[in-house]
Amino acid sequence: MNSLKSFLKRDGWMLFIFIGLLAFPFIVATLTGSSPTGVPRGDRMIMRGESVRWQAVLIEVFILSLLAMSYNLLFGFTGVVSFGHALFFGLSGYIFGILLEYTALDTGLATGLGIVLGIAASGLLGLGIGLATLRLKGVYFAIFTLALAEMAYIFFSRLQLTKAEDGFAIGELPVWLDPTQSRLTFYYITLAVFVVGFLLLRRLMASPTGAVFKAIRENEDRAQSIGFNTLRFKLLSLVIAGMMAGAAGILQVMLNKKVGPEMLGLTYTIDPLLMTIIGGTGTLLGPVIGAAGLHLLDVGLRDQVIALGGASIRIADVWGLILGAIFILVVMVFPYGIVGTYQRWRLKRQHRGDPASAATSRAARRQSG
Amino acid sequence: MNDSAPVLAIENIHTFIGQFHILEGASVAVQQGGITVLLGRNGAGKTTTLKSVMGITPPSQGSIHFRGEPLAGKPSNVIAQMGIGYVPEHRAIFRELTVKENLQIAERKRGDLARRGDLIFDLFPDLKRLYGLPGGNLSGGQQQMLAMARALVPENHLLLIDEPSEGLAPVIIEQLMRAITRLTDHASVLLVEQNFRVASRLANDYVIVDEGQSVASGLIANLVNDDALIQRYLGVA
Amino acid sequence: MLSKSLGGKRGSLVAILAIYIGLLLVAYLNSPNLGNFGITVLSGLFQGMLLFLVAAAMSIVFGLMDVLNLAQGAIFMIGAYVAYDAQHPGGVIDLTAVVPNNDVRFIVALALGFGAGALLGFILERVFLRPLYVRPIFQLVLTFGVSLILIELAQIVWGTTPNSWVEMFGVRENFFVLFGQRFSTYRLFVVGFGFVLIIVIGLLLKRTRLGIIIRAGVEDREMVQSLGINVKAVFTLVFTLGCAVAALGGAVAAPFLGAAPSLANTYLLTAIAAVVLGGMGSYYGTAIASLLVGLAVAVAQDATIGTSLGVLPSITPLLLLILVLLVRPSGLFGSSR
Ligand SMILES: Nc1ncnc2c1ncn2[C@@H]1O[C@H](COP(=O)(O)OP(=O)(O)O)[C@@H](O)[C@H]1O
Ligand SMILES: [Mg+2]
Repeated sequence: MNSLKSFLKRDGWMLFIFIGLLAFPFIVATLTGSSPTGVPRGDRMIMRGESVRWQAVLIEVFILSLLAMSYNLLFGFTGVVSFGHALFFGLSGYIFGILLEYTALDTGLATGLGIVLGIAASGLLGLGIGLATLRLKGVYFAIFTLALAEMAYIFFSRLQLTKAEDGFAIGELPVWLDPTQSRLTFYYITLAVFVVGFLLLRRLMASPTGAVFKAIRENEDRAQSIGFNTLRFKLLSLVIAGMMAGAAGILQVMLNKKVGPEMLGLTYTIDPLLMTIIGGTGTLLGPVIGAAGLHLLDVGLRDQVIALGGASIRIADVWGLILGAIFILVVMVFPYGIVGTYQRWRLKRQHRGDPASAATSRAARRQSG
Repeated sequence: MNDSAPVLAIENIHTFIGQFHILEGASVAVQQGGITVLLGRNGAGKTTTLKSVMGITPPSQGSIHFRGEPLAGKPSNVIAQMGIGYVPEHRAIFRELTVKENLQIAERKRGDLARRGDLIFDLFPDLKRLYGLPGGNLSGGQQQMLAMARALVPENHLLLIDEPSEGLAPVIIEQLMRAITRLTDHASVLLVEQNFRVASRLANDYVIVDEGQSVASGLIANLVNDDALIQRYLGVA
Repeated sequence: MLSKSLGGKRGSLVAILAIYIGLLLVAYLNSPNLGNFGITVLSGLFQGMLLFLVAAAMSIVFGLMDVLNLAQGAIFMIGAYVAYDAQHPGGVIDLTAVVPNNDVRFIVALALGFGAGALLGFILERVFLRPLYVRPIFQLVLTFGVSLILIELAQIVWGTTPNSWVEMFGVRENFFVLFGQRFSTYRLFVVGFGFVLIIVIGLLLKRTRLGIIIRAGVEDREMVQSLGINVKAVFTLVFTLGCAVAALGGAVAAPFLGAAPSLANTYLLTAIAAVVLGGMGSYYGTAIASLLVGLAVAVAQDATIGTSLGVLPSITPLLLLILVLLVRPSGLFGSSR
């Protein structure tokens, strides 16, 4: 009873949001008088109405959150900069798509196999990249991933088999999964994957392994000298991040029923980076808040037109610039992001009048060891 | 500035490195033309004291005055320009630069090296022969000489010298000691030296640093006879 | 002597020579005649020199300041746009009335490109990078972000469709005939100019006080500062010059490459390939590697013209980069890891 109480006190608000997300399709449906499952026509469903439209928006938020969380595991928690995160996202997407469209397998089997192989390939890719470059200074890893992602992008943009830069559509998914048929189910599936990912990450970061990740971020040499095989921990972080990004890529392909080289493009590297930084680097909730904030902003503003001294500017045309400006602004003046800044503010309030608490005196160090 | 005012007056400084409180109240004075030696165990905070003077790890409390001027808030290049030469531990010379370039880079005014060349080669005749070689090719003793010579290129009023004898052969140490003694014609010296024999022969004054605090100070002549103090803080008899 | 200034890596020198000879051999075997071979080589050297202009500063700045400037490609692109804009009628800066002579205007265009790069570099270091030296990981991320912003800005100011150079002027149109082929005088001029620049910058690093400070700073910044040198000011100066030279590269390239947003990432990645291949922080290594990458791209272009392998030239630098990182990440002439 007591543990339930403390759970509610600590995590109650998360539970509250989770329940809110569970009810979301129905709330929107009620408010707008639309159906949460779309409109039936014959034996198919048409995805029309406010509820299903907003479900799609949130599904994208979940996918982007997953991608950003995986980016944050590397960048925020382990201190490794990747400029090729789209690799994992796109690679698993292509593998999944190719299994569905280019093999004679039964749809259900291809879906299952695609999910397993896609995620496994992303993990292996992470392992390979890590083995090749994580021994080196951080910039080498950043460069290597950038170059590899660019290569993959060029490769798939030209590969005739997968319809080059147009990409290819997924004709058929199992009906219960297909977002153009059963969006509500798909909504709950992505929600579940997102929540599981979040909880796993939280568990991981609370574990000794997570503590080593953070130690590596703070000072890799010191972590090494304490006796940790930092390479192995960085590899682990990269493999987990790769698999998470891979899962996000597969969900994205399911949602759009399409695979194309844009999944390997810079956008899917920059977006998670941006979302992580804006939300709060190295915090659990930061990437989620960043992903939700940016994506909702994008959806809300995309078609807006603002008049600026006679000229009218479509927000969509300058969206990249706006993102860039936010990016620079956050890095320069707001480096802890939304969540990080909030946490520091709260910490400061708790420690007010106790300035020495942050420092470690010689006496204190003697005491502790 | 009267004659008795110290060249360097460090008063009760506290220095943090990151979140670690390294110096917890250190006070040191260096008299005009004198040599003050900082003694203390490994990790006591001697190097950090020198770095605090240089502004590399600026103190957050306390004061440092150099020739009557406060150093607080000044970046290390400005502090150096005021006339302080730093000879760090482990002989931090530039290994890829030649001996000549190692000396050239220390010039603050055009012609500094030409003006001080005679003095430098008089103190360290070996350097003349090694002039065109990369610093990395020099032996440990030669590197130490180069590091000290580098601090002599501009006109400095104070030299901060960190463990010059560390890891060197006795013959070389003798040579360095002679050089340091002669340096005092040109500058006052704050010396860190673990080798008590060397320290006691060179210095006028001593300050013992322990656990980040200055715990004892005075004339070195008095310390030499104070076995209890030596035993307690320096662990040598 | 050369081997010494390259860090005494005799093996690397031999390897580089072998690669050069191999590339030239491929080019030669691929060419129907000497003239064609000459064109490939000149084109390779030309591209190599452009790369050098981007890569040299990247390498020096990385060695000195530990900052890998990922905006360097975008600054190259800005240089190209500014030069294009200044040379052609219309656009943001219309100089056709002020400087009617095409040749003179081109010189002005180059100067403007250089100036734009310097200004961007100065602002980037002084305003954005300086507060972040304590958080190097964010510097890397920041230069990446600045690169994206510059690309976006260029698209807003100059549009998304590539501008191809139409304005004629003397040097660009001149050619000389050798082995029955027409060679562009302008390219030859750029290659010559590039060689002079390699040597001038090399001497600057070797002989001047700034050069000594830079080399010392690569080893130990803290010590340089303790000698009374304002290292921050040196950083700003070096970074500004580096960006100016990269933008000059873009301006010089514009008559051939035009101005397009895609230049930014292409030249960034290609230059990184040269920097890593040469060994980060090694100046002559970067120069040699830039020419090598340029030559490799030209050979690939020549070999794949009219074949279905049209991607090869654009992925050649990437392949080289990945290969070097896998096999020998310290590059051919680098020392530190
Ligand atoms: N960069 C650093 N981070 C954390 N602790 C440090 C750092 N540099 C020095 N210290 C600690 O500060 C203390 C004093 O160091 P130092 O001044 O070098 O001692 P000394 O020169 O007397 O041997 C030591 O305990 C050392 O471990
Ligand atoms: Mg010490």
